[in-house]
Amino acid sequence: MKRIFDHPAPSERALTGPQYWRSLDELAATPGFKQQLAREFPEGASNLDGVDRRHFMKLMAASFALGGLGLAGCRRPEKNILPFGKSVEGIIPGLPQYYATAMPLRKSAIPLLAETHQGRPTKVEGNPTYAPHGGASSLLAQASVLDLYDPERATAHTSAGAVINAAAVNDLLAVIGTTYTASKGAGLAFLAEESSSPTRARLVKQLRRNFPKAVWSEYEPVADEAPAAAAQTVFGQSVKPVYRFAKAERIVSLDADFLSSESGSLYYAREFAKGRRVTKKDDPMNRLYVAESALTLTGSMADHRLRLASSHILAFAAALAEKVTGQASFAKLAQGLDAKPEWLAECAADLLNHKGSSLVVAGAHQPASVHAIAYAINAALGNIGRTVDFVEIPASDATSISDLAAVIKAGSVKTLVVLGGNPAYNAPAELNWAALQKSVSEVVRLGYYADETSAHAGTHLASAHYLESWGDARTSDGTIVPIQPMILPLFGGVTEIEVLARILGEAKADGYSQVFATITGIAGGDADKAFRRFLHDGLLANSAYPVASVNFNGAGIAKLVNGAAAPVALSKANLEVRFVTDHKMDDGRFANNGWLQECPDPITKISWDNAILVSPKLGKELGIDPKGSMIQVARKEEADFEQGAENAHVFTLTVGGRTVRGPVHIQPGLSNYTVVVALGYGRTQSGHVGTGAGFSAYALRTAATPSFVTGATLTSTGERMKLANTQEHWSMEGRDLVREANLSEYQENPAFVNSFGLESHSPSILGEEGTKMTPGERASQLPRGGSLYKTPEFDGKHQWGMSIDLNTCIGCNACVVACQAENNIPIVGKDQVMRGREMHWIRLDRYYSNGAIDAAAFGGEGNKELPEDPQISLQPIACAQCELAPCETVCPVNATVHDEEGLNTMAYNRCIGTRYCANNCPYKVRRFNFFDYNLRQLDSLYLGQLGPKGMPELVKMVKNPEVTVRMRGVMEKCTYCVQRIQNGKIQHKVKTAQSGNPSDVVVPDGTIKTACQQVCPVESIVFGNILDPKSEVSLAKAREQDYALLGYLNIRPRTTYLGKLRNPNPKMPDYAALPQSRVEYNKKNHPAGHDHEDHGGAGEHAPAHGTEEKSMKKSPGHTGLAVANRVGGLS
Amino acid sequence: MSNIFPKSANKLPLQIIIYLVVLAGIATAGVTYYMTPKYTRVGYAPVQPVPFSHAKHVTELGMDCRYCHSNVDKSAHSNVPTSQTCMNCHSIIKTTSPLLAPVRESYATGESVPWVWIHKTPDYAYFNHSAHVNRGVSCVECHGKINEMDVVSHQQSLSMGFCLECHRNPETRVRDPKDVYNLNSPTIAAKSGVEAGLKFVHNWNIKPPQSCSGCHR
Repeated sequence: MKRIFDHPAPSERALTGPQYWRSLDELAATPGFKQQLAREFPEGASNLDGVDRRHFMKLMAASFALGGLGLAGCRRPEKNILPFGKSVEGIIPGLPQYYATAMPLRKSAIPLLAETHQGRPTKVEGNPTYAPHGGASSLLAQASVLDLYDPERATAHTSAGAVINAAAVNDLLAVIGTTYTASKGAGLAFLAEESSSPTRARLVKQLRRNFPKAVWSEYEPVADEAPAAAAQTVFGQSVKPVYRFAKAERIVSLDADFLSSESGSLYYAREFAKGRRVTKKDDPMNRLYVAESALTLTGSMADHRLRLASSHILAFAAALAEKVTGQASFAKLAQGLDAKPEWLAECAADLLNHKGSSLVVAGAHQPASVHAIAYAINAALGNIGRTVDFVEIPASDATSISDLAAVIKAGSVKTLVVLGGNPAYNAPAELNWAALQKSVSEVVRLGYYADETSAHAGTHLASAHYLESWGDARTSDGTIVPIQPMILPLFGGVTEIEVLARILGEAKADGYSQVFATITGIAGGDADKAFRRFLHDGLLANSAYPVASVNFNGAGIAKLVNGAAAPVALSKANLEVRFVTDHKMDDGRFANNGWLQECPDPITKISWDNAILVSPKLGKELGIDPKGSMIQVARKEEADFEQGAENAHVFTLTVGGRTVRGPVHIQPGLSNYTVVVALGYGRTQSGHVGTGAGFSAYALRTAATPSFVTGATLTSTGERMKLANTQEHWSMEGRDLVREANLSEYQENPAFVNSFGLESHSPSILGEEGTKMTPGERASQLPRGGSLYKTPEFDGKHQWGMSIDLNTCIGCNACVVACQAENNIPIVGKDQVMRGREMHWIRLDRYYSNGAIDAAAFGGEGNKELPEDPQISLQPIACAQCELAPCETVCPVNATVHDEEGLNTMAYNRCIGTRYCANNCPYKVRRFNFFDYNLRQLDSLYLGQLGPKGMPELVKMVKNPEVTVRMRGVMEKCTYCVQRIQNGKIQHKVKTAQSGNPSDVVVPDGTIKTACQQVCPVESIVFGNILDPKSEVSLAKAREQDYALLGYLNIRPRTTYLGKLRNPNPKMPDYAALPQSRVEYNKKNHPAGHDHEDHGGAGEHAPAHGTEEKSMKKSPGHTGLAVANRVGGLS
Repeated sequence: MSNIFPKSANKLPLQIIIYLVVLAGIATAGVTYYMTPKYTRVGYAPVQPVPFSHAKHVTELGMDCRYCHSNVDKSAHSNVPTSQTCMNCHSIIKTTSPLLAPVRESYATGESVPWVWIHKTPDYAYFNHSAHVNRGVSCVECHGKINEMDVVSHQQSLSMGFCLECHRNPETRVRDPKDVYNLNSPTIAAKSGVEAGLKFVHNWNIKPPQSCSGCHR
């Protein structure tokens, strides 16, 4: 049977009533239900006859027996099963369905598969058909599902404050079209977001034909693609770079955060990881040089990192270009650069040694001149066509928001249509957009929220979420992907495509018809077939932007750099402000998303706020550095941290006469006089979640300097403000949590991870025999030791295990929110996070190390300074499913016990909330429901029973039906996504039983993926059956870098880590023979007198350490049991 | 001076203790019996919007369970048929029966027939039909002889103890896969002895979970 893609015409009820079906409220309005109500009484009366009378008598008897305590209340309320009236093809109640769609963002999109349960999308995963992403998706994509069910989204179209229905909206848009037909669009203006949609492009083209005098402008507050001007100048073509990181052995990033904030970062992260992953001794490993002002995720992966102000990057790029190309013309530009010449020289030499396999990438926010120079370097190195391709992109002919503002000021705009975006919040400050918009007589605004911009618009049209609209988009490489609705618009929202089509007076203005017309026009052939294939695959094959053959023309650069000023020396009185796209809020569009607000920033670890980030040096000059001792290792007397509440100083940041106020957070690793502020916070008209979180840095931003500006000052207000910071420990305290080595050491001693910690000093806790076994054999054969407790027998057909590769983990946080979406994890709000009660089942620990930690760990001089230029180590931690789990032995009610497949299970119904298990967990990964986070509103938690109860029906719809929603007083934690494991096993058994091979009950490797594994763009997380020696996870665990965190406790965690490698260049001035965390480890555990030189790279020492007792005695750090992290929530 | 308390008051403490013990005993016994699913659920037979008779359709007319519960071997839920499924036949037979009016109306409007939910496990227990019926566990094990019921009633307690009983001794409950939907068929153990049941369990690698994660997530 042919599936009908077109939606039926909305019924009377759909047009007037609330539109999310299947709520009881709506059901109550249906004729069927009314009828049912009407006949309920006679039926209810008949209940007293027959069988039920017997029940009634029984119950009465029970009541008498219990002395008047009636048990009628113990009966379960009567519930109904409501099957469809008419069968729906393909829907099997109880099984999720998956549809290909995509999440558009600016000029790119992430292809997705949306999981729907009875028509209700609950989770998205990357579409594996799109090879560059390989099934991965991003933090923002994961969280976007929550936006669909945001009760505070715009739920109605309004005009002049009154609600208007869909028909009125259509009329209104049609009238705009007819009104301006005569004047050819004079007086009509559009302001839209950037978009990659081919359908929108087609409609805009038509719009320009029909209304040649109308203004079409586009505005995006943040840039995530290289400026088109750069490529246009040096290549004379409309092209953009697409980097091939997998082929690049040497990479230089010029302020570019290509792993997280740039367009295509998912693809780039994946490719970067391919060049980074080392599985065998002789595997090559890329080397990353980063020059940047802020500390980005890309910077945290760097082998050599140069802290440099963003305004000095041009000079740095020129200096590098001079070294690489040998052209003296760059020298002039490089004047005034404050960077070690050897750094540059050696970096350039390394690049020159890797012609054709190196890559220089400039940050999207950097001016065209920097990009042009980067292209020049890549051209000189012969990288073009090898590690970087230039692809043809359609040139944009939209006017800028500043030009539009000028037209509005001139008074020639009568009707302004604002499609998406939020210019009243994020337009350049000097435009004073809100006032400008008010001056236009008719403003029609399409927005997902009734936000700052809607407040100044006469007409607000509720926008549809991408999961409820028809649309199309292109990924960053140009592949055309569909946007399919999973559900009819919950609140009758319309899309940009529909609005444009209606203004144009199209006969079939619905999204489906429009997209169908575009796609079949491009694909050709049998239209229906092509479109079905497009929807099925989730992409249009071979639709990527074609690779252009480009000729580099250096002459153009001179034009771009003309007038570029020499870098200004920065100081406390002349600070540089760098505006960064927030890792979670993006440009502010996700401000009302609780999952994102609560997700800690990957570097600062602050949630629910942004902050003015300053370097430790500037912090000292401002007089706000924590002056206490033991800065790096423990809680500070200065009380800058108090159980997760960072007591920040509030400063005002002034630049160009504009001022904002915000808390200051000292961030190691920043360029000394660069102040970093994240955009996207300080929303004034958002929902409960977004309003009031952080401060808006848009107030400082002008169109001329959108990404960084110099001449700023910071002034103290003398006030303090609490920030919710989830990780107050900055250092590993010289312990062996993240085990690192340089590549050279690894090549000599691949098993370097074994030279750490207590394990290196004692015979193996698993015994000689156990060490030789595979993890699978160990699980099933190794005796449990002399434990007094009955230990579980692992006799299941599978034994689950996980391996996390620390070498490729980029700390993007996608796993954190993917887990939250999959496992119904609630958000708890800023107040609760400050008490250490965040509920994330997986957390990313971020450690700084600069090698300065002292042997006398608690109180030594080196511990009193904040590291200015630290190395970063990242480590995702979730429940490790210990085989000998310490949590299980302390549970008084057996609520947490092992199953036969090695999972440390949590039976919520048994849990009585003693929290002993969390206290006894060495990894601190258990989370406790201190309140009914799923039932009560976050601002009235402390009212207890007096507070309002219940969740809006809409919020419940995002919950995964396969996972229990936990209540107050219950402990919870990672279960390796037990629901996926069980369903995977059952589906496999069903398949084999039905195909006549019922004895095959072992699920093939790769069938079951945990949520964190599936989302991971760098494939750091591998999960599977360790009994199968050929499974991915067994192979990973068999690698020599495999180690167990806190393994010396003999808890035998099923999650193990693969040691991190760094690949520094020995010729560089900042070369260190050992990673800084190793230096700290050695300093602390093998202080003076002990020969720690050979502890580093040598590699022959590991077994020999078994007898060295003296080093053990001097190792206070060895005795601590818990990971250096939060324990506050348990108090 | 006369005594405030009569002599019989000496027995009072003992009497109180005895009464308390008896009362507590009754309360405990009452709760254990009357508050368990065995009492509260078994026998539950609510009146359905349409008096559908399984006995008529299955035993008399010989329909297979899966004609209506078509996804029982694919999904965790055993689906209740859509009104369209009913109308496959009832658009031809008994087209004007007043008893079938709700079905006809549902088919016409698309609104559901509100069948009353009888067999219900708690929300935190994730029972999966497909895992059972595909591997030798017949409908009758949990639902009783539905094929002979005019009005469906709750037959087994469906408590955790009930589940575990079978999960611990699957060999006594499994049927030949051909017989799963034949509710009158004997189990393998009843037909050919427990040894045969054990053999089937072994051959099919049947290892019902007895740990929490089997059913609770």
